[in-house]
Amino acid sequence: MVRQIKWLLRVSLCNLLGWNEFRYTKDEKKKNRYRLMGALWCLVIMMLMGYVGMTTYGLIYMEMGDYVPAVLGVLVAGVVFVFTMLKAGPVLFEKGAYEKQITLPFTVRSIIAGRFLSMYFTDMCIGLLVMLPGMTVYGIAERPGVTFYLYGLMGILFLPMLPLTLASVVGALITGISSRWRQQNLAAILLTMVFVCVILFGSFSISGMDESQLEDLVWQLAPLLEEQIGHIYPPALWLSKAMIKGNLGMLLLFLAVSVLSFVLFLEVLRPFYGTICSLLGVHQTKGNYRMKGLKVRSAFWSMVDREIRRYFSSVVYVTNTLVGNVLMVLLAAAILIMGTDDVEKALGIPGIVSRALPVLLGMLPAMMPMTSCAISMEGKQWWMMRTLPVSGKSITRSMVFANILVAFPFYLVSELLLVIALKPDVVSLLWLLAVPAVYIIFSARIGIVINCKFPVFDWENETRVVKQSASTLVAMLVGMVTGIVPLVALIALAQLPAYVIYLVFVLVLAAAIAALECIDSLRKV
Amino acid sequence: MLEIKNLTKTYQGAKAAVSDLSLTVHEGDIYGFIGHNGAGKTTTIKAVVGIHGFDRGEILVDGKNISREPLACKRVMAYIPDNPDLYEYLTGIQYLNFMADVFEISGKDREDRIEKEANDFGIYQALGDLVSTYSHGMKQKLALIGALIHEPKLLILDEPFVGLDPEASLLLRQKMHEICGKGSSIFFSTHVLEVAEKLCNRIGIISEGKMMIEGDTKELTKQRSLEDIFMEVARHGKTD
Repeated sequence: MVRQIKWLLRVSLCNLLGWNEFRYTKDEKKKNRYRLMGALWCLVIMMLMGYVGMTTYGLIYMEMGDYVPAVLGVLVAGVVFVFTMLKAGPVLFEKGAYEKQITLPFTVRSIIAGRFLSMYFTDMCIGLLVMLPGMTVYGIAERPGVTFYLYGLMGILFLPMLPLTLASVVGALITGISSRWRQQNLAAILLTMVFVCVILFGSFSISGMDESQLEDLVWQLAPLLEEQIGHIYPPALWLSKAMIKGNLGMLLLFLAVSVLSFVLFLEVLRPFYGTICSLLGVHQTKGNYRMKGLKVRSAFWSMVDREIRRYFSSVVYVTNTLVGNVLMVLLAAAILIMGTDDVEKALGIPGIVSRALPVLLGMLPAMMPMTSCAISMEGKQWWMMRTLPVSGKSITRSMVFANILVAFPFYLVSELLLVIALKPDVVSLLWLLAVPAVYIIFSARIGIVINCKFPVFDWENETRVVKQSASTLVAMLVGMVTGIVPLVALIALAQLPAYVIYLVFVLVLAAAIAALECIDSLRKV
Repeated sequence: MLEIKNLTKTYQGAKAAVSDLSLTVHEGDIYGFIGHNGAGKTTTIKAVVGIHGFDRGEILVDGKNISREPLACKRVMAYIPDNPDLYEYLTGIQYLNFMADVFEISGKDREDRIEKEANDFGIYQALGDLVSTYSHGMKQKLALIGALIHEPKLLILDEPFVGLDPEASLLLRQKMHEICGKGSSIFFSTHVLEVAEKLCNRIGIISEGKMMIEGDTKELTKQRSLEDIFMEVARHGKTD
């Protein structure tokens, strides 16, 4: 079985981030794209490591160094859980790959384990990037014994296992339930979104508690931090005790729970795995078509309609790119239900909502526009668009328009909720409407430009496009920058009226949209 | 209808996939483009339909240059690849309606054409089902109906007989004659020499990216079978 898992894992890791293509392609353009992607990943990694290092130093400075492994452990578990939950179902139950693998002499156990471990590998990298700088800073400052490093390395290896198992359980449940529905994709999308909302509301209330108790925690009530971590994720506390106090029993408990949870998941899923995989993608056929009047539309609207159908046909595409829109509605709903003050407390930045709400609202859907992978998602069907008598700019514009149409209902609902909650005056309402609208249009426009620069067509699993492509990474970075820059400006330039900063920023984004449109119009085809 | 002049295409880091290739497809022709695997057939076809650019040469479709007027060229031609990856998330009728919208076919015309062709190919009843539920043969038939919806002047097919059952294969051959009878032209690649010999009025054999023989099928096969000619090209790279 170990050999089988090794083979399956090797095949799946070859494809990770397009590594194999980078190694063997002779196309210099492709190689350069990968090099750029590598540089961007390095940038993200350095930012993350810097953030972790500073957090660790902050904890040590506040004489709470003993909680460094626990805090970092919770961070790793949280990131692994949230990131994996959205892809666990599609990766574990990918039907095409299942049909290829099950015909070969592989056991179902090896297939599940192989796919689980392929996700585990990337999650372990997250563990490494968080724990390593934290351990280094702690090591320099506190000079711990050798068990700290030894147990810490064990922690890095096994820390992602439990959150990954939990995320896989959620993914398996969502896929299993939706596989029995007629509208499988819609069911999976809805279930995932409901689960995301539950998690977000849960974390919102936890962060609300943290903030109200933060000052006490910082200086005096370290035991309360321990209690909080114990509530959120006890295994992080076990690992922390093992690393700091050299408690072998705690380490063994941590390892046993991590490994046993995975083994239990594997054994429970195994009998149902084949059935779920074969139910996926099974559609009822009627075979009784009768010609009714066919709707005639312009080529452009037909392409927009097709794009929207394509979008909602993919669970992983929708759940990863729609989450920003859902967050926009959740933020508005939270303001309506909890009030501005409580939301500010939960976000941890006093005054942020009252000063920067339009930007906060707009930056959420802009973080991951659906256009950032719209072209790549065409995959092997891209030939069709290339051979139809439609120009490249019509294709990209139809994708941008589809993005705007998908975001529009969420935008509308958020605005309605906020109007009810805040009863803004005319000027405030104008900014509340204009800023998020400009953000949505800009992100859709820049998303397609980025995807044109970094397309990926040779993919087997949609996760490769949505979660691992250079295009989505660049789009996310651009979204972050366009969100953070005005936020920082609004906080730093507190003496300036907010609308001045809104105006400048809206003008900059509008100018960028206009420039991109002009460049597009100059294109021949 | 289709004129390829001195086409040369080189992939990065590799030798030329197609080198100095020229051919002409006239109105009403069924042109068989024959060659072994990797000979350069698909590269040539992809350059003609606008998927690939090329390094040198010129491609004219109905007198228009594919590099300079790609949309005008695409409006008069249709292409079906060897393994048509169609939009699996659409139903058959949604796919055909999409194609009709793109080619700006009126409501009445599209209904008539879809009904006729879908009945001819025996997939009318399945048009309301998702493309993902179709068999390989059904997908090929659907792709063909989609390609014929705007009555193209030039139909380009890459290995059209692969995966078709005998009945569908016969139907396709009849359809090809019917299309050319109306003045359209067909340019297709194939490995099936018997079919090419019976079906095509013109033939071109490509090897290692170069056109080895081109001409009227009857003249070429006057003394030898197409199989003999092809094998000679495959073995020696040329024929007498």
